[in-house]
Amino acid sequence: STLPAVAEELLREIKKAFQETSQVPDDLLLGLKFIFGPSAVPALDLVDQRSVTRVRAPSGRILYQVLGSSGKLYTCYSSCHFCTCPAFGFSVLQKSESLLCKHILAVYLSQAMGACQELAVSEEQLTNILLAEEEDEG
Amino acid sequence: LCRGGLAERLCQLQNRERSAISFWRHQCLSDDKIPSDKSGVLIVKILEIFEECTIQVAICQQLEQSSAMLSHEDAVINAEEPILKVLFTRETAAHLKSRPQDVIHIYPPWQKLLLQNADVPVIMNTHFSQKVLLSEHSEARERTYGLTKMLIRKNIISLAQTFRLDDFDDKLHQESSDNQVPCAPQTHKNSDSKQRPSALSAVNDSLLEMVESQGAVGWREVQVRVIIQRVYCLPAREGYRSHTRGNQPLCATPVANSRPPNVRLCLLVQDAYGMFSEVQLQSLSSTDDIEQYCRRWEGKSCCLAGMKILQRTTRGRALGLFSLIDSLWPPVVPVKVPGQSQDSEMMTTNIPPPSFCYILTVQSGEIHVEVDEEEQISNLYQPPAVHGLKEILRMDGCNERCSFWAQVLYQRLQSKHSVPIDQREMLLFVTDSTLQNVVHGIPRVVAVSVTASCVLSMEIKEALSADSRLVFFKDALWGNGRIICVERTVLLLQKPLLCSAAGADLSELTGPVRLDELDSTTQANSICALRGTVVGVNESTAFSWPTCNRCGNGKLELCPQDRELLYCNQCSEVVTTPVLKMQLEVFLSCPSLFESTVKVKVWHEISMALFVLLTLLLFLQTYEVQSVLGKEVGLLNCYVHSVTSHPNCVVLEEIVLL
Repeated sequence: STLPAVAEELLREIKKAFQETSQVPDDLLLGLKFIFGPSAVPALDLVDQRSVTRVRAPSGRILYQVLGSSGKLYTCYSSCHFCTCPAFGFSVLQKSESLLCKHILAVYLSQAMGACQELAVSEEQLTNILLAEEEDEG
Repeated sequence: LCRGGLAERLCQLQNRERSAISFWRHQCLSDDKIPSDKSGVLIVKILEIFEECTIQVAICQQLEQSSAMLSHEDAVINAEEPILKVLFTRETAAHLKSRPQDVIHIYPPWQKLLLQNADVPVIMNTHFSQKVLLSEHSEARERTYGLTKMLIRKNIISLAQTFRLDDFDDKLHQESSDNQVPCAPQTHKNSDSKQRPSALSAVNDSLLEMVESQGAVGWREVQVRVIIQRVYCLPAREGYRSHTRGNQPLCATPVANSRPPNVRLCLLVQDAYGMFSEVQLQSLSSTDDIEQYCRRWEGKSCCLAGMKILQRTTRGRALGLFSLIDSLWPPVVPVKVPGQSQDSEMMTTNIPPPSFCYILTVQSGEIHVEVDEEEQISNLYQPPAVHGLKEILRMDGCNERCSFWAQVLYQRLQSKHSVPIDQREMLLFVTDSTLQNVVHGIPRVVAVSVTASCVLSMEIKEALSADSRLVFFKDALWGNGRIICVERTVLLLQKPLLCSAAGADLSELTGPVRLDELDSTTQANSICALRGTVVGVNESTAFSWPTCNRCGNGKLELCPQDRELLYCNQCSEVVTTPVLKMQLEVFLSCPSLFESTVKVKVWHEISMALFVLLTLLLFLQTYEVQSVLGKEVGLLNCYVHSVTSHPNCVVLEEIVLL
């Protein structure tokens, strides 16, 4: 498959440009729009609002929590592309129309631009967050 | 969308691009010939097409420019011609309706991306693409093809394939750097930024400009001059965010209560353009005095440098912060308007109140806030507007910040035991001369609720438990008929130095304080005075117990050595002269409230001397009922526990005012 490699390279370019100039050039922004389509602007908005938190447990296990525009908190996994938002279930899983949802994209962009908030929690707390997601869906 | 944010910029770029695309397409249609300007045009021949998500991937061969003129059949596939992967959006693909063997002209601006582990370059941003039909033969074929639908293979992308943004050397740096530094990838670049020429000399006066131009990494060199409108403390929580109302907590289990309460000193600052920002400074220990900071810093100007943007919050997500900002709006002096020169007319009317606010914090370990304490108070400073309580009770509106100076008469802690002491709500009953001198219609005493989020200094807490004090309530919240102290409200013991005190009376109360008398309008959780006659006694509630005469501890124990003596654990000493507390519930008939049963829990302390006599009398069980019935009870101060109708009953408890 081609698209993931392209997406990854684009995000790396953004990270590099941001590290060097603290800015993201226009052509890379348009590239984001080209590859990710309608998720691009909402994802950037989430980054502007510093909505992404990297949650880390002492074991090194990590997950991301993104505060969505509706005020709901979504969990994104770090080991694979997964998000608890309904758009992910629909666009990515069901229809394979997108690579990512806006929350996962926001996670990557926040990583690239150093805009993640950091939160250290205990193992138990992280487990609870993951289990809580399970309960919601059940 | 955030003003000046990346999302807004992309929106603008996207709109421009869309107009350019439609204009170009329109031009292509009307011209109906290949545009003469060939520079930058990529010419490709499609070999294979497949789809991934909504992107169409075309494996193509790049053709030389000259070969565009050759006929279609002459363009033989040459193994040496470079292969490209050209991506098209769904929309462009629908427009092109490409098939293998088609020749496409891709006009600039397009982008080439070289992938790390692949040889084949990728072409993106291919919005300005046009299919070229080289001969009549192909035109006819095109028409027939247009009628049949071509099936394109769709690749399903695995979710297991995540993106790795760090290169190997980045990863090494990340692992070795301190875990506590947020946004780790930046650490190895810090030395670079220091070598850049610093702009320390430039002191800017716009917060927004600083935020927009410097980005999120932090501005190390540039300083912003602002004035401090308010100083207050906020309870510090891990992962503090002002917009977590109603959301799931970030941690499923609450943070351990055993840690000492953590508060951060915060400033609400305003720049010359009228924009606000909340700056979170260092943690305060319990001995630090917020009152000192307020006195020394409010109204003064200061320079901020090296701030980190914690958050950009909006009105809808931070009601408390914005109610405070609203109380400071409009500015009292004209503010600058961005985009206009300094000399031009500065206006203050007609500017709407701000809808967003940046929350800044200091970079770890360094404080870059220089307050010019010697300087005069700035003209932009708006001191709290102090009003009498009578005026505040008559205010319209909801969630308005108000400030007042009042005497605290009584303090009552919320009695929920599941909540730790430092997080309990407290009720303070206050009054001032505007309420005391009133005749009718307005209560003489008002209950002010102090929530756990309002940070109280040790000094205030001690003063409130000790005796009746005059307290300045700065920026309390008024709404729904109640005054509450929340985050950003500050309680101070000293009169404010500077305040717009139109109509406020900061004088002491003359004469004894009077409470409202119990009547039909009395509500629960208030205090009142009552008088009446005892008509009944609830004997089952008669209760007496000895207390320590030194500390008031009600849980005395028998001395292990001598079981006739009492011992106090808190003082670690024997109690030789205990104070006896007696408690009794009596039913009163009150002239001011005939229809209701009034039940009052009264209690008294009596000294040891009477102890013996009373024990005797209680034993006889004749004393209570006979000598108490019919007794006049005069002006008792009470706290109202509950007021019920059906049956009409008021339950109170005798209290002692501070």
